[in-house]
Amino acid sequence: MTRVVHYLNQFFVGIGGEDAAASGPASIEGPVGPGKRLQALLGDDFEIVATVHCGDDHAAGVPGADEEILALARGHQPDLVVAGPAFTSGRYGIACARVVAAATRAGVPAIAAMHDDNPGLEDAGAAVVVRSGPVAREMGPSLDTFAAAVRRVVVGEPVTGEHGRIGRVPRRNVLVDANAAERAVDLVLARLAGGGDSEVPLPRFDRVPPAPPVPSTADVTVALVTESALVPDGNPDGLESARATRWLRYALEDVDELAAGQYRSVHGGFSTVFANEDPHRLVPLDVARELEREQVIGRLHREYLVTAGNGTSVSNARRFGVEWAAELRRSEVRAAVFTAT
Amino acid sequence: MERAGIPTALLCNLVPIAQRVGAPRIVPTRGIPFPTGDPSLSPPEERAWRRRLVERALEAVCTAVDGPTVFEVDDRLGTRA
Amino acid sequence: MHRVQRVSLGEETAFRDGHLTVRAEEAVELLASPSLADVRVTWVSPGDSARVVKVLDAVEPRTKGPGGGGIFPGFLSPGRPQGRGTTHVLSGAAVVSAGFLPRAQEAVLDLSGPAAAMSPLAATHNLVVEFTPAAAATWEDVDRDLRAGVLRLAARLAEAALDAPPDAVEDLPVPDPRDGALPRVGAVVNIQTQGTFKDVFVHGRSLSGGLPTLVDPGDLDDGAVVSGQYGHPALKNPTYLHQNNPVVEALRRRSGTDLVFAGVVLSPEPVDQEQKQRISAYAARLCLLAGFDAAVLTKEGGGNADADVAMKMDELEELGLTAVGLFSELAGADGTGPSIVVPPTKATAMVSTGNYDERLVLPAVERALGGDRLDLLDVPATEELELPTAVIYCALSPLGWGRLTCREAA
Repeated sequence: MTRVVHYLNQFFVGIGGEDAAASGPASIEGPVGPGKRLQALLGDDFEIVATVHCGDDHAAGVPGADEEILALARGHQPDLVVAGPAFTSGRYGIACARVVAAATRAGVPAIAAMHDDNPGLEDAGAAVVVRSGPVAREMGPSLDTFAAAVRRVVVGEPVTGEHGRIGRVPRRNVLVDANAAERAVDLVLARLAGGGDSEVPLPRFDRVPPAPPVPSTADVTVALVTESALVPDGNPDGLESARATRWLRYALEDVDELAAGQYRSVHGGFSTVFANEDPHRLVPLDVARELEREQVIGRLHREYLVTAGNGTSVSNARRFGVEWAAELRRSEVRAAVFTAT
Repeated sequence: MERAGIPTALLCNLVPIAQRVGAPRIVPTRGIPFPTGDPSLSPPEERAWRRRLVERALEAVCTAVDGPTVFEVDDRLGTRA
Repeated sequence: MHRVQRVSLGEETAFRDGHLTVRAEEAVELLASPSLADVRVTWVSPGDSARVVKVLDAVEPRTKGPGGGGIFPGFLSPGRPQGRGTTHVLSGAAVVSAGFLPRAQEAVLDLSGPAAAMSPLAATHNLVVEFTPAAAATWEDVDRDLRAGVLRLAARLAEAALDAPPDAVEDLPVPDPRDGALPRVGAVVNIQTQGTFKDVFVHGRSLSGGLPTLVDPGDLDDGAVVSGQYGHPALKNPTYLHQNNPVVEALRRRSGTDLVFAGVVLSPEPVDQEQKQRISAYAARLCLLAGFDAAVLTKEGGGNADADVAMKMDELEELGLTAVGLFSELAGADGTGPSIVVPPTKATAMVSTGNYDERLVLPAVERALGGDRLDLLDVPATEELELPTAVIYCALSPLGWGRLTCREAA
């Protein structure tokens, strides 16, 4: 018997619509709503032991909501966590994606269903996501695809495009027979003969529409942000020189310049000799203060934000961006000058 | 940060990388290890160059763009060593 | 070529019947310098429950026979092309330096366990050189003197085999791209040029500021390229792999059957965009002038080094030459991130040396060299470690030594 916990939003468990979107995570015994149909499709080898639900605003908007939801689900000792289908509903899709991503990170197999265009797809991490229709009217065929994929996940069979898989498929390290140099020569010869497949797919980057400009920097607060790993001498908070997993902030109040010897870069990706001779080569505080005095900059933000951009994974970099944005918005910063090495 | 409505200007040397990943406002600089400097200049010249980079970045965040846009710093004033 | 089967420390430095004995006092004397207060040498062998942390460089013992010119030109012999005559190689052994240098990213080398299949130095008997800097020495002096001492020691070990009968003899002709009708394929080897602790030496000098150049591959066999680069452990090209460049080996092996080995271009990796463009265009033109139909391109280092490979690939394709580049992937711990930040745009043929971010667990070991602790995790160096592949010495070898690649796990 495979124990399944199903995640749904406030609407599909029947609590309400937008009026109940702020409701927090809660749990109900057994299958609810679409879970009843899913249970029927999965048959007697599976038992949906509980349905965990949460309002979309809470689930997609409150930091840590995914972990709260996962903790409730784990209380039911699931062998598998399933979420959705979320169709094209944005906040619900994000919630489903984050819940299955959190479960996968915690070692609990998990799978979600949503439409290809759901913005949540990006957040699913290494978890399996399968295609649903665009709208709840297509619940029936969507659950057919979902149930078939759930069966495959439980027995460890691959879920591919043929089975409705969408989103990113994780790339794992494997050892093969030929070394990379031999494979490169093979690929040269194959290309010269008109064929040959690249081993690396060309990347797709998330496209963010640019923010509207500020009318003038003279009336607003501007922040200095950098990935150059410039930190106070001695690196008091232990910023990593490569593969950074976090960012730091250092006060600029009453600081007019960054003196050599008092600030150093711990970046592992370039020679820091020039930067350590004059830290303004990485963070232009001296001229920014000058421009502030001349009222070209209304006010300089009271601290600078820093990480090390050296072998940093895109997922961590994306998280830093989200956290920086939240931090700067709280401080009413309206624009950022970013230096990169 | 752009998604959250905060316009950014990126001062960097590897402009094609910045364009490839979709940075909306890019101010090209002179070397990877010194985005806001140029060690080949005298200290006053270097500070003047840095000021022009930051001024250009401030102009950039005041400019509407719809995709990766390069804001070159006018080099005719001759601070290039 | 002499195969090293057994190693020990002993009364004299000697090589007999596959057994390499080293007199520790002699090794220490060869490394003596005013910048090093103390030097220790210790053997570790494949399969040992042993770990070397803070690995800096690895060098294969080699020397030249009489009349063949010098070894490690620019360090132990005049800094000019050698490349001819007989080179004696102690295959299966290496001299490995390990210890703290500023700005060196900590590398981990396990001689057994799951990481052993990922590193060329887990398959060799390694004479590990540990050191204590002199109080008055600058780190730059320590780096320079350690490198010179390791090269002297490596050459001395190979000299012990000068009179021993070789286990194999390889004849390595100078490439002649005029040969026959087969496609002419060469190697383009990008060399990191970022100053002290991030520099690589050709005939004893940095390529920084220079143009790409065509070299006799025999020169690589003689140690013309020596590493002084300590960033990105998994992406390091130690001297050992320049001496045994895997792309050169693959091209040599297939020359005359599938292709003609057309030569090796060494190129600097500049630190600014304008110079990257200039060097890339120049390198592609050099391949054309040298008669290449195609090239395999390699790098050293992380993100910006990808740009050097990608730009050269695009320049080569523009000129009508086929280009294949070796890249490591930066796909995040779960393997779902975009793999390569700066891929080529015109050329598309890439070989993957594996994902930098994937985690693996290394079991605890009985002894560790190179340091008592792994500062990265702030734990004793002998403990069980959970680490990204990025920390395993040479695991994602940009020169193509490794058998790692990435596959989709559906």
